[in-house]
Amino acid sequence: MYSVILTELGISVFNDGQVDKSFPFSNPVKEYLAIKNKEAKLNELINYLAKIQRGVSVSDESLLAILKKFSIDCHIMDLEELEKVQSTKPQIIVDSGFASNLQDTLGKLREFALGFSSSKVTEVSQSPDLHIIQAINSLDEIDKIANGLSSRLREWYGLHFPELDNMIDSINGYAQIVMAGKRESLSKQVFEEAGFPESKVEMLSLILSKSRGGDISDINLSIVQSIAKQILDFYELRKKLEEHVESEMQEIAPNLSAILGTAVGARILGRAGSLKRMASLPASTIQVLGAEKALFRSLKTGSQPPKHGLLFQHAMVHAAPRWQRGKIARAVAAKAVIAARVDVYGEGLNQTLLEKLNIRVDEIGKKYENPTEKDIRKPQQFSRGDGNFGGRREGGRREGGRREGGRREGGRREGGRFDERRREGGRREGGRFDERRREGGRREGGRFDERRREGGDRNERSSYGNRREGGDRNERSSYGERRREGSDSNRKRKKFGRR
Amino acid sequence: MEEDNQSYFWIKSEGEQKISTENLVPGNQVYKEKLIIKKGIEYRLWDPFRSKLAASIMNGLENFPFKNNTKVLYLGASTGTTVSHISDIVGPSGLVFAVEHASRVARDFLDRVATHRSNIMPILQDARKPKEYFSVFGKVDVVYVDIAQPDQTKIAVDNCDMFLKKDGLFFLVIKTRSIDVTKAPKRIVEEEIEKLRERFEILESIDLHPYDKDHAMVIAKYKN
Repeated sequence: MYSVILTELGISVFNDGQVDKSFPFSNPVKEYLAIKNKEAKLNELINYLAKIQRGVSVSDESLLAILKKFSIDCHIMDLEELEKVQSTKPQIIVDSGFASNLQDTLGKLREFALGFSSSKVTEVSQSPDLHIIQAINSLDEIDKIANGLSSRLREWYGLHFPELDNMIDSINGYAQIVMAGKRESLSKQVFEEAGFPESKVEMLSLILSKSRGGDISDINLSIVQSIAKQILDFYELRKKLEEHVESEMQEIAPNLSAILGTAVGARILGRAGSLKRMASLPASTIQVLGAEKALFRSLKTGSQPPKHGLLFQHAMVHAAPRWQRGKIARAVAAKAVIAARVDVYGEGLNQTLLEKLNIRVDEIGKKYENPTEKDIRKPQQFSRGDGNFGGRREGGRREGGRREGGRREGGRREGGRFDERRREGGRREGGRFDERRREGGRREGGRFDERRREGGDRNERSSYGNRREGGDRNERSSYGERRREGSDSNRKRKKFGRR
Repeated sequence: MEEDNQSYFWIKSEGEQKISTENLVPGNQVYKEKLIIKKGIEYRLWDPFRSKLAASIMNGLENFPFKNNTKVLYLGASTGTTVSHISDIVGPSGLVFAVEHASRVARDFLDRVATHRSNIMPILQDARKPKEYFSVFGKVDVVYVDIAQPDQTKIAVDNCDMFLKKDGLFFLVIKTRSIDVTKAPKRIVEEEIEKLRERFEILESIDLHPYDKDHAMVIAKYKN
């Protein structure tokens, strides 16, 4: 009775419990992996087995598959035999001459385990999707840092030239002016080089002479300028990262990019962990990635589940009327997961996915054109007396949002326009949607932050580039959710209170 | 200093009795824990906030099967905090098969723990597929499971069936929040224990509060 046993250090052929012939590996990790991947050649072993001309039992499925390819009469061992192999493995290794004694076996096995594990770590670390995730995360982090820094810059340089703050929206332009130095050294040329239109240059020059700002010492100025320099550098880096993510995503996950866009796609990828993992997730999970807090709250308290997490940044979801968003988010998530699966297991760009999604989104747009009664949010009334802390806070937040919306009118224009464009692209002109969006996306990214800045205390509200669309809006959306759920739980809390 | 079970030691540090193990690789720190030399022997303090096994000892664990020579199958090695202490205890003639699936933490585990300790056999594979482990041989004395999966108990039992010897001990960290966030932690622990009863004799169940929230350690004996 011949049996072929695969160990980590080599392959042995046994005949009635005695070693007949052994084939040690010269590079165990590599050769063992090759067998597991069914890529190994194993010429010597096959020749030997062919000569025996008898049925052999094999200890490993992959090995079995390889041998079968060379039409060797073989079958897998039964459970009892397998268990015996498993429990006597060190002895088998010694008997086969792969190691000199039990102690040596252990050492060699451990060496193998270390090598094998290391090669796995190396393999995973090389996968490009992990690098995309790092890139998109750096991008988001840079946004955060640059935002804080730029508001600090405005505050500090504002002591010297306060009027500038209200005149210039873009962080990039502001920083370029700061780089030029004190008020006295600013000239039309500086403004022109910073890329402002004629009319603005005129106004700036006018204001320059009548500024209310105080003097700034050279030491202070040089520090302020270093900050400005940092911001400009961040701006460059951000641009690079954005392009990098864009091109990498197109390469690694073309379908996912087609459905979600590169930036949103990369963020969702980051949440999922890896492309492969994302491909194995259910669409419903993708739909709420990024809204974990709301999701778990909903599971715990039975409140409304979130309609969308990171997907809110997606143009289609974002631009849709509130009552359609959940439906659209669900459709997008479903197609996004299919896209991820095609990217992992299929090949090439599958255009029909996007087409189908566009059709479905159009359908939703038509079918649910008007909100039903349920969808119309009743205005909530908050009075000092009846709210507990949570209630008041919600109320405050809501009012705050409203107020801000009004105040921000000027700044929102750009954002607003961009939104409209997105909506057009997304909803009405299905086919052209992605082009538009990409164009829009780049524009948006290209500008640091064109939203009007209104002073230090609202710093966190503004941010630049995609992040603004994303983080900010997203948060606002979850306010919506939170508000509703908040009031829900308020109600509950009150109930408890009464008891 | 007070000896206990010859496996772990109580050492006075910063005015408190703290738990520690004798360092297998003197001078080597795994997670920036304190090293204390007493009578020429180096001890590593064992942080119950980072290691659930240490937390169970603090909360009055009675069954402690880890000692010199013990063979352990450890699922969910993570970055290797607990594994390193078990490696200290089982000594050069013991063996720890440490299974971990996530490559990010496995990287740290390999760097900080596995390469320095000759009694650890790192296995970077999915605990759901015990049949595919390479390098595990024979049966082990203890199976220790600390994995965050909703079906963690089933995975653990499958591994026991493959590798735990009769009357071997089974340590299961029940992560109630990984199993189901909506249920009450206490109920989940009861349910999971119920799943074990058929083939295990439940010896202890320890709540890991205050070291870990909503975690419990269950120690059972394999009857099969």
